[in-house]
Formats: sequence, structure tokens, C-alpha cells
Amino acid sequence: MPTPRHHLNRRRRQEALADRPAPGGGSRTPAGVLTEPAPRTGQRAAKPVRETAAEPKGETEARERSARSSGSEKMGRVPLAVLCVLTLLLGGFAGWAYSRAGELRDDPARGNTALTDLARTSEIKGQTGAAVAALFSYDHADTAPFERAGKTLLTGKAVAQHRTLLGGVLAKAAQQKTVITTTVTDSAVERIDGDRARVLVYADQSSVSTAGRPSKGKAAGAEDQGVYAGAMFAVDVVRRDGRWIVENIDTFGR
Amino acid sequence: MTRPVRTPAGIRPALAVALVLTLAAGASAAWAGRDWYAAAHDDSAGYAVQRDEALAAGEQAVQNLNTLDHKRVEQGLDLWESSTTGELHKQLVEGREEFTGQVRAARTVTTARVLSGAVTELDDRAGRARLLVALRITVTTPDSKSTDKDSRMLGELTRTDGRWKLSALGQAPVGGTAAG
Repeated sequence: MPTPRHHLNRRRRQEALADRPAPGGGSRTPAGVLTEPAPRTGQRAAKPVRETAAEPKGETEARERSARSSGSEKMGRVPLAVLCVLTLLLGGFAGWAYSRAGELRDDPARGNTALTDLARTSEIKGQTGAAVAALFSYDHADTAPFERAGKTLLTGKAVAQHRTLLGGVLAKAAQQKTVITTTVTDSAVERIDGDRARVLVYADQSSVSTAGRPSKGKAAGAEDQGVYAGAMFAVDVVRRDGRWIVENIDTFGR
Repeated sequence: MTRPVRTPAGIRPALAVALVLTLAAGASAAWAGRDWYAAAHDDSAGYAVQRDEALAAGEQAVQNLNTLDHKRVEQGLDLWESSTTGELHKQLVEGREEFTGQVRAARTVTTARVLSGAVTELDDRAGRARLLVALRITVTTPDSKSTDKDSRMLGELTRTDGRWKLSALGQAPVGGTAAG
């Protein structure tokens, strides 16, 4: 006994069923729109199609497409292969040339730019000479330059080395009124490796003690007590804030 | 419809990617090739090699000239002569007999060790170089007493027949005056 309500409901269901293919058919256009970017992947073309009634149509379309395009794809494959081979060849050459250049650069002779980089060599020579002179010169009357040099021109283990080297002299310096003057007479840069360098230094050191001479008139005689000594050592210098400062003092085990 | 356009488009992106890759490979090949060429034809590299050769030969020669065993004077002096050239070589040859007598009388054995060395000047075209060699010389007297002495050597090298030899050798003067 169908009631009007039953009727209505059934009608609605039927309508709904009838409506379903309608959006399905209508989806043919959206399906076309969806498949448009699909050729890029191929897999994507199948996805939207599977959900719609237009499924078989979409598949055949894809099949047709691939069948039709196989000719032009074959034609496209030749330049593709050429490009791939070219890429491999060029890439291979790049790798080989790069490693050859690296090998040449790694030659220890090249790594050391002493003399080959003349500007830097003379910069290091000049600054090291000045640093050594300042670090090993001492005037009991004016110790400020010596202290300043110790603070600004030393780093790392050179601080302790410098103290050890001059400790004995400094202990008696004030009492003996010592004046030490150090001059670099010769120097040569052994090695420059970027911001590090090693310099061989020949220096002359004159040491004068003016104490123990009560008569001031004999000051000139006291000056004659000066001792000249030649020293040789190597210093490792590092570049900090544009300046070369001493990092290690090698006195060759003396 | 857009179908005819769509069909070759399947391979077109691949071609584009391949082309980009090829261009990138080409660019890096050009860069690496230029880099390699520059490294292989670097003037300063040849200069660096000369510097190291001069230093090695110079250090060896300085060591040779400070090594002498009274028991093998002739061999020692032969080595001196083969390590030197020019004026220094001439002096050694001229003074050889006298020196041989002195060493045999003193009966000393002198050995030397290079502590450090560096080239100060290098003219690779003219084949001339100057170097500093810090040397520790050990002299052993007949009574087996040995004394060490550090020497600040200044040497001059001259390239003869492709080999670096000492043409002058002396000690750095002390006190601003030429002491030897």
C-alpha cells in the first residue's frame, strides 16, 4: 500500500539514481579537464577516470594516445639519448679535470707560497722582523714597549716560550739596569700555508748592563760592557686581524 | 582539441630536463677544464718547484761542506768539490792539499745537521738563489770529546747543468760587522 509518502521517497530515490549518471555524464567535461595535465605522468590520467563512469573511455583514450604518440616518442628518444650521452661525457670530463687540477694543487711545492707570493713573503718577513725585535728588546727605563709587544704579538704556546727565554734576564733586569736590543739581520720565509708561516731568523742581540758602576762619569765605560751575540731560531707566525703574530718559537733545542 | 599538442608533450619535459642537465654538465666541464689548464700551466708552480729543488740541493751542499772525517779526507773533499761551483769551487780545489794536511794532523771528525733552511731569493731564469741554513756542527776530537756549535750559514747557489750547486758560503756576521 503505497502511501504518498512512500511514493515520494521512491521517487526521490529513483531521481537520485537517475541523477547519478547525470553528473557522471556531466563529469565527462571535468574528466577531460582532469586528464589534461595527466600526460605528464600517465598514472594520473587513470586516477580520476577510475572514479567516474567515463572510466573505460578514459583508458581507451590513454591507450589511443600512447599508441599514436609512440611514433613521435621514438623520434624524441634519439635527441634524448644524445643528450644523456653528452651529459655523461661532459660530466665525466668535468670530474676528471677537477681531480687532475686538485692533484696538481695538492703538490706540496705549490701549497707553499713562500717566494711565489712575493707580496705576502715580504709582508711576513717585515712583520716577523719587527715582532722579533720588539719581543726581544728590553729597556729597564721604559718597559712599556716590551710589555705591549708581549701582549699583542704573542699567541698560544709562544707566550710561555717567550717568558722562559727572557725569564732569567728579566729577573735581574731592573736591578742591573739592563738594556737589550735585538735586531734581525737576516730572515727567510720557509713556508707559507694560507694564514700560517714559518720564518727562519738570524738576529743580533746586544745586552748592556749599566748597574754596578757608581761613577756616572764612567757611563761610557759601562756601555762598553755590551755583549753581542748572534742568535738563530725559527718562528711560526699566524695571521690574526691582518697582522702576523708569533705562535711558536723554535730555538732548535737550545 | 588539444590532443595533437599533448602527445609529444609526454617526451618534451624529459627532453627539457636532459637539455638542462647537459648544459649544466657542459658548464661544469668548461669550468673544470679551465681550472685544470690553469693549474697545469701555472708559472708560480714551476717557480715553487725550482725553489724546493734549490733548497734541497743547497741544504745538502751546506751539510756536505761541513762534514769531514780525517780518515776519509779524500772522499770528503771530493764531495765538497762536487757540491760546489764557481769561485767557491776554485778556492776548494786550490786549498785542497793544505787543508788535507791540516785535517789529518788534527784528526777530527766533523759532522753537520741542518736544523732549518729557507731560500731568500730565487732567480729561476738566471739560475741563481740565496739561502739561509741553520746548521749544527759537531766536531769530535781524537780523544772522543765532541762539541756542538750552531752556525748561521748564508749560501749562494748557482744552477749548472740543471743542478743547483753552492757558489758561495759564509757565516752571517755578528754585531753588524763581517765576522766571517
